[in-house]
Amino acid sequence: MLRHSAAAAALIGAALFTGAAFAQSGKVTVVTSFSKDVTDPFKQAFEKAHPGVTLDVQNRNTNAGVKFVEETKANNQVDVFWASAPDAFEVLKGKGLLQAYKPKAEGIPEKIGSYPINDPEGFYSGFAASGYGIMWNDRYAKANGLPEPKDWQDLAKPVYFDHVAMAAPSRSGTTHLTIETILQGEGWDKGWRILKEISGNFRQITERSFGVPEAVNSGQVGFGIVIDFFAFSSQASGFPVKFAYPTVTTIVPANVGVIANAPNKAGAEAFVDYLVSAEGQEVLLEPSIRRLPVNPAVYAKAPEGYPNPFTDPSLGARVKFDVNVSEKRTNVVDVLYDQTVTFQLDALKAATKAIHDAEAALAKKDNAEAGALVKEARDLVAAMPVTEEQAASPEIAGAFTGGKEKGARQAELEQQWAAFAKERYQQALAKAEQALKLAR
Amino acid sequence: MAGATTAGRAHASSRSFRHFTISASPGQLALALGIAAFLALFLVIPVGTVIYVAFTEKGTGEFTLVNFLDFARTDLFIRSFWNSVYVSAMSVVVASVFALPLAYITTRFEFRGAMLIQTLGFLPLIMPPFVGAVAMLLLFGRNGTVNLLLNDWFGFRIPFMEGLNGVIFVQAVHYFPFILINLSAALRNIDRAMEEAAQNLGSSGFRLFRRIVFPLAMPGYIAGASLVFVKVFDDLATPLLLNVKDMLAPQAYLRVTSIGIADPMGYVISVVLICMSILAMWISARAMRGKDYATVQRGGGGLSKRRMRPWESAVAYGAVLLILLLVLAPHIGLLLLSFATIWSFSPLPDAYTLSHYGRVFGESFVYVKNTLVYASIAGLIDVVLGTAIAYLVLRTKLIGREWLDWAATAALAIPGVVLGIGYLRTFYGVQLPDGTPLATLWITIVLALAIRRLPYALRACYAALQQISVSLEEAAENLGATKVRTVRRIVLPLMAGGILAGFVTSFATAAVELSATLMLVQSNADAPLAYGLYVFMQSAAGRGPGAALGVIAVLLVALCTFASHLIIEKSQQAKGAGR
Amino acid sequence: MNQSLPVVSSGVSAIDVDIRNVDLFYGTNHVLKGINLHIRPGEFFAFLGPSGCGKTTLLRLIAGFNQADGGEVLVGGRNVSHLPPWKRDVGMVFQSYALWPHMTVKRNVAFGLEERRVPRAEIDKRVAAALELVGLAHLADRRPSQLSGGQQQRVAVARTIAIEPKVLLLDEPLSNLDAKMRVQVRRELRDLQQRLGLTTIFVTHDQEEANTICDRIAVMNDGVVQQVGTPMELYAKPANLFVANFLGTANILPGRVVSEGGGRFFDIEGGIRLPVPADVTVPEGAKLVFRPQHATLGRSRADDIVLPGTVVHSEFLGSTLRYGVKIGAAEVSIDTPFQSGEELHQPGFAVELGLSLRSALWLAA
Repeated sequence: MLRHSAAAAALIGAALFTGAAFAQSGKVTVVTSFSKDVTDPFKQAFEKAHPGVTLDVQNRNTNAGVKFVEETKANNQVDVFWASAPDAFEVLKGKGLLQAYKPKAEGIPEKIGSYPINDPEGFYSGFAASGYGIMWNDRYAKANGLPEPKDWQDLAKPVYFDHVAMAAPSRSGTTHLTIETILQGEGWDKGWRILKEISGNFRQITERSFGVPEAVNSGQVGFGIVIDFFAFSSQASGFPVKFAYPTVTTIVPANVGVIANAPNKAGAEAFVDYLVSAEGQEVLLEPSIRRLPVNPAVYAKAPEGYPNPFTDPSLGARVKFDVNVSEKRTNVVDVLYDQTVTFQLDALKAATKAIHDAEAALAKKDNAEAGALVKEARDLVAAMPVTEEQAASPEIAGAFTGGKEKGARQAELEQQWAAFAKERYQQALAKAEQALKLAR
Repeated sequence: MAGATTAGRAHASSRSFRHFTISASPGQLALALGIAAFLALFLVIPVGTVIYVAFTEKGTGEFTLVNFLDFARTDLFIRSFWNSVYVSAMSVVVASVFALPLAYITTRFEFRGAMLIQTLGFLPLIMPPFVGAVAMLLLFGRNGTVNLLLNDWFGFRIPFMEGLNGVIFVQAVHYFPFILINLSAALRNIDRAMEEAAQNLGSSGFRLFRRIVFPLAMPGYIAGASLVFVKVFDDLATPLLLNVKDMLAPQAYLRVTSIGIADPMGYVISVVLICMSILAMWISARAMRGKDYATVQRGGGGLSKRRMRPWESAVAYGAVLLILLLVLAPHIGLLLLSFATIWSFSPLPDAYTLSHYGRVFGESFVYVKNTLVYASIAGLIDVVLGTAIAYLVLRTKLIGREWLDWAATAALAIPGVVLGIGYLRTFYGVQLPDGTPLATLWITIVLALAIRRLPYALRACYAALQQISVSLEEAAENLGATKVRTVRRIVLPLMAGGILAGFVTSFATAAVELSATLMLVQSNADAPLAYGLYVFMQSAAGRGPGAALGVIAVLLVALCTFASHLIIEKSQQAKGAGR
Repeated sequence: MNQSLPVVSSGVSAIDVDIRNVDLFYGTNHVLKGINLHIRPGEFFAFLGPSGCGKTTLLRLIAGFNQADGGEVLVGGRNVSHLPPWKRDVGMVFQSYALWPHMTVKRNVAFGLEERRVPRAEIDKRVAAALELVGLAHLADRRPSQLSGGQQQRVAVARTIAIEPKVLLLDEPLSNLDAKMRVQVRRELRDLQQRLGLTTIFVTHDQEEANTICDRIAVMNDGVVQQVGTPMELYAKPANLFVANFLGTANILPGRVVSEGGGRFFDIEGGIRLPVPADVTVPEGAKLVFRPQHATLGRSRADDIVLPGTVVHSEFLGSTLRYGVKIGAAEVSIDTPFQSGEELHQPGFAVELGLSLRSALWLAA
């Protein structure tokens, strides 16, 4: 708190000095998915920097926020949409619910890692960055004798069976980006194979991003695939958790955008400007927030050991993230994951467990026939009902957007994909069990 | 000995009653139309604007039923459907196991602290389920207190919270008060002679309960059990928090709130949910049809409370304590959490602090005030509507009066998020003179809460009226009271206990309602406690402040509930003294 | 109910009920005060008294629904004071009948037998017999709500006697019936009781009911048994003013006893003096009590004493004429047989009452 007020005082001075304080007044209404830990410091700092302006923060989860803006567009009362998930902004932009605004701040690069910070058309702007990684509960890991994971593939190891959690990509924009990152980094087929091998070790797939750090913090689950600031702020408040960035990770910006027909357009723009200003960027360093500023200069003020994606080549540098590829197949990837993993988790876990057991037996006593069966089982688990090309095709993508044309219905595709996955998991289970018998 | 009205007369007159009010008076008709208009405006139309999607064809927007065919053809939905049925039924069973002993012991015996138990037994209802599930995981989860200790001492774990088990457990704990409240009210209303006659014929103990007391309390039990069934069937927050997704309500929610996807299945599932709820209510009504349980002859409880023998007391206190410990586990967990510094993979928190309360203290005031205002108004609307609907259904011959009942009851099955979206769609376009949309006013939240909680109050009022012998009203009319005066002077006072129970239920549950509220809250200044809780709980920096606010919320609602129980108890005593 | 009936309680010999020094309090309220009663085997016994006299409390105490604070209850010589209701074998018919609405007539009647684990076949037989006995065999599958009041009452009786109780307790069983039914049912009850030879206790506030069907009556008031006796004894020889007044009409003349010149006299308020026969004991504070038919208008017998009075009202009752006559400060009722051609005296008419002191009583409260 002390630290915070000092920062705020500095900010007021800075704001007055630069003359950034326009004569805005009244209320700026912000719909956000950020928690109070994030919004409160910003609210205080912004209101101090712009006396007379009240920041009215409406906390909704991203999905509800998008729905809300969409449902109320006829008589819009919201000025700013402020959230992590870039895809939510894509949706808002696609529906014409955002208006373009280019913030005045300087010194912000084009990209962070391989991801563009701002929307090329200027409808939304990145103000902070976050990377995905692995967070784990140290007590849990020690009690269960589990090693520390370093990379995504580590989580596919048999020791982690039933110890890992992740949010559903369809529910968490940032998890979706992680999935997409793996798919782009490793290629469609290999990417899915890795994803399913990791998912086979899942204990749960949560409905909210926040469910994962919650489960890891309390020790209900040992390991979680989370966005970095969850781990940082958990650590900051004393939870016995650790965090690692895997080699294939992307650093994605958290964004802010001005709503079309904002009642207080000037106020909205002032808030966006404030977020990307040097003063606003410094607020991100607060222990309860701990996000990565998009202004490289601000890192000079960061405490020691603060990750810096602009100087640390391991952060996101290895991945080339193509936004266009991602955008075309967003819904398809989410539904594919849900239908083949989320809603088939029991079957997938059963097959995964059987494969682990068979491989463990094979490691002790090799058996060529059994080895072949296990490989078949692994291939069955990894198999996907659609190819990369099909996934991006308008026929399939159209089934999810309620397009005007009569095409395949979402429910039909879902049932096909689910049946596809279920059948193969059952076959994989049978083969792995057969292999285990042979290997004994 | 003053009780001159008799079962015989009550039965005889309930027969003659059918010839008695064939047609409705203009007043009754106006009342029915008013209620119908209210329900249409704030329930049917908003929900209709949302779920009509379920009946439209993709692309063309024409009417179709193919989406329902898709529902039936999708394994996931069918599995979800049966999971929901299973979980709901098992929740009723487990909730009954909790509620039966508490209700029976506190109403049929001289039991020290009976009122306290009734109040404590009510507490689970006033904890937002998403908060309760968090606490339950900390205590009963795979690495919760109980299992960590079990594993340390004996080397095994009990899968309380695994998969559907967890949902059943949390739901049973959360919703069992519905059975407790309704069953207790029904037990209080059984004529003492009914029980004594059985004792006189040689029946006692559990057989007496099973054969006489329980069947007579059946209307109350069924009312409570069907509420539990429907609520569990339609609840999405608890399964989602426990990461159980293959149930119907979570499926609907996941689909309705998926961004960028225009899928009718979410709405199809909503329609299925609504139909199932109505079906469950209809079956319960059907099961009770023709059972004239107007066994109240003195216009009040004919309750005889027995003194327990020492060993009986010991068993009773043991059972009550155990049940209370189980059902209050979420509260115990929440309390610990609110004082905890770090609680991670350990049976108890590492250390304790008061700082979380300090953090929320200043901010909680506005939430508390809003909650009290919203929940009171919603509860008031609910008992007024509930009493009116119960009266119209049970005491008039108005054609189509059951539809009011069904419509109001169907509100149970409307997922909060559907109602929320419906309100935004319907009322956001409606502007006040100064240009602010109607939907941004806090009264919209109140109306949504009232609609969401109306079924609770309705069932309570319905059960209360059902147990009042018509002859008591006829006596009043016979002595020159008009219908309106009879309702005011006879029916309402006799229903007072039930109405108050309905109010308490509506009030307390509205106070912790989140799903519709989350859609409708327009500014922090208008936000109720549950919203504040939600906001505070979304923090990786620890849930201490959220838990602290949760404790404040529970205490607040508990105080109000306790006060209401005092009033109920007093009114019961007042009636008893007149005997 | 007059057809030849199967015997329900064959082989059960009637037993007695002994109530000894029973005291009962509701809080500080002394509801039963040292009650002592002996009800003989096979007797039809009534607890008679006004509302709140404790008669139902006493009945419920016998059934085990109230616990005495002192004294004991013996049924057939066995002390049942500390037995729960379900172990007492005393059948009770409730005022409200307390028929369970969720069971059919048959199930209601079978209930007690089922509780006694009687074999199914025998239950069926005894239920049928009990229903036959009350003439309701044809309604066995109805629900209580489908029966008339009289039928419900008979089901309640059948339900109770089906278990062959040692004692039958009836709590105002006729109070919920209309007048005509009441007369019919009370005869049926008496008939049934006689046939079963069952010791029966009947609670009522209606002296006519008690008089017509009971062998003996205990008149109760204010938690105290005032007098026990046959209906005729109670009528003819009431032990006190309360009993005299409660059973039949009693004329009560307040006054005081004076001794003068070796003789005793009773001075009625208003200045009328009567001689008190030498063999009569007059309790302290006693009043003169006589029945309306024990006085005549005008002296009719030689040893009658004469009281001057004024007619205040008059009624023609068919076989008799009833006059209200003011004597001193009090008003009395006089019944005289009606003879054809006789004129009714109008109010204001001065009369002389002839009273036989032999049939008059001096009673204290």
